[in-house]
Amino acid sequence: MNIIVCLKQVPNPDLQFQVAPSGTDIKRDTLNYRVNGCDEYALEEAVRQKEKLKGKVTVITVGPKRTEQMLREAMAKGADEAVRVSYEDPAALNSYQVAKILAEAVKKIPHDLVLTGVQSDDYLYSQTGAMMAGFLGCSHVSVVTKVTVEGQDLKLNRELEGGDQEVVMTKLPALLTIQSGINQPRYAPLPAVMKAARAPIREIKPQDLGAQNWDQFVGGFQFKVRKVYLPAARGKAEMFTGKPADSAAKVAQLIKDKGFWRGG
Amino acid sequence: MPQGVLIVAEHREGKIQGPTFEMIAKGRELVAKHGGKLSVALFGQGVDALAGDLAQYLVDQILVGEHEALKFYTPEGYAQALRAVVDQVDPLIILIAHTTQGYDFAPRLAADWNMPIAAGCVDVMVEGQSIVVTRRILNEKIAVDLELGGAPRYIVTIRAATFKPAEKGGAGAQIHKVAVQIDIARIIRKVIGVEKPQVADVDITAADVIVAVGRGIGKKENIALVQELAKMLGGVVGASRPITDAEWLPKSRQIGQSGKTIKAKLYIGCGISGAMQHVAGMKDSGLIIAINTDPSAPIFEYAHYGVVGNVVEFLPALTKALKGG
Repeated sequence: MNIIVCLKQVPNPDLQFQVAPSGTDIKRDTLNYRVNGCDEYALEEAVRQKEKLKGKVTVITVGPKRTEQMLREAMAKGADEAVRVSYEDPAALNSYQVAKILAEAVKKIPHDLVLTGVQSDDYLYSQTGAMMAGFLGCSHVSVVTKVTVEGQDLKLNRELEGGDQEVVMTKLPALLTIQSGINQPRYAPLPAVMKAARAPIREIKPQDLGAQNWDQFVGGFQFKVRKVYLPAARGKAEMFTGKPADSAAKVAQLIKDKGFWRGG
Repeated sequence: MPQGVLIVAEHREGKIQGPTFEMIAKGRELVAKHGGKLSVALFGQGVDALAGDLAQYLVDQILVGEHEALKFYTPEGYAQALRAVVDQVDPLIILIAHTTQGYDFAPRLAADWNMPIAAGCVDVMVEGQSIVVTRRILNEKIAVDLELGGAPRYIVTIRAATFKPAEKGGAGAQIHKVAVQIDIARIIRKVIGVEKPQVADVDITAADVIVAVGRGIGKKENIALVQELAKMLGGVVGASRPITDAEWLPKSRQIGQSGKTIKAKLYIGCGISGAMQHVAGMKDSGLIIAINTDPSAPIFEYAHYGVVGNVVEFLPALTKALKGG
């Protein structure tokens, strides 16, 4: 079983963001990046399946040079090979283009199964996986919370709203978008981290996919980021300030005033 | 020329799902401004009653595609059925809910039909034959307007709980049966059934007071702080997704789109930033108090009262203050 896992590097969402002078992206020079949440679970699932069924796990990303750190972490956690598609736009808001580029790159790597996360923490598109499957012409199942491989068949649980799970079957080759919580991702052992630091990372450029540049992957229609801005707040909480003891006293008083305190 | 809006209705266990009515509200507004019809596509088997439900809303027509292969949603079955409807209606915009079904269906359709797609939108406008959508990114903190053009038709998925659902009061929409041709050989996915969560825990939807815990709690041992506060207030402990994913609390405690929707009298969010998927499950609570280290956290847009601070320091201070210390 050869498995490809698509990873995305995303900014830490707990930061405060500012709009760049261009007005079409955020300021990125001071951001710190990490691997997307669901993608970590997708990687762990791939490595577990490989440990059971043999084969190879390849991690791939579309992004600038900084993403190599994430690819090395993935190798330290059990991926065998890493590929970076050198699409350098740090914002990469056109999900159609990213999915198309990824699909064309994935076609160059032998595989039975492709895994992505359900969504990226920064944009929450939930598009890339299922769109890639369309470009690859393989079956897909989204929001997967359990994977059982039975020969060429896959038995899967997919999450629905409200905590229900739908059980479905599909066939290999397939693309699955993996939901967080499907497993408990491992930590990388130190010797593996050392080894991954020296491992080669294959780079894919437009020419490797038979194109002059990445603009050839936009699908023949127009996509434009018109404006990036700080949204108007929907509402605003009344804030209690001061040291923890002071703000806690105010919240305690509020709880009592509203009648929620019955003497504990 | 393509015109108007076609909504793909979502239904489960014999009920039209909430986001469909939110899309009807938005779709109505779009056709009122830009012309064309508001159509709803409904796929399934034996869905006459559901078509009747939809006809009570202000839509122009309901196109019903029935087939035994459409009994459950599959991307391959729905795509074949939708082809017939789109050929008949020729809409400018296809609206699909940004739900687990929408994530599965819409992007696949965009790739297979080579159509532009805008996903998880909080607004959509028409400008000639182009569309402009608004999305929220980076944990709700940034908005972005995207312009899509140069295509006859666009797929737009609408984020749940963004628009107020449409109210009943149509003039009785026309219901048309559409002859759908389904090639069963092209349906690779087989639906086995639905598993319901095992309920062997408290039902958080029945609680008046919920103290909810998120990533800001730092480590598993600190959950005791939240449990103590919940106990003092006669409430129960709820959680955001990262906490149940890490198995620090059982899945039955998860609040949000993929968990439970609560309407507590008092909700206290401890170290929860307020990602949309959590907020959708708690925003209708009576009194909302939030504690978070990040002053730009979106939870403060929904909370009535807020404290910027570390819950691990704040919670012991609060329990002490409540005891009168």
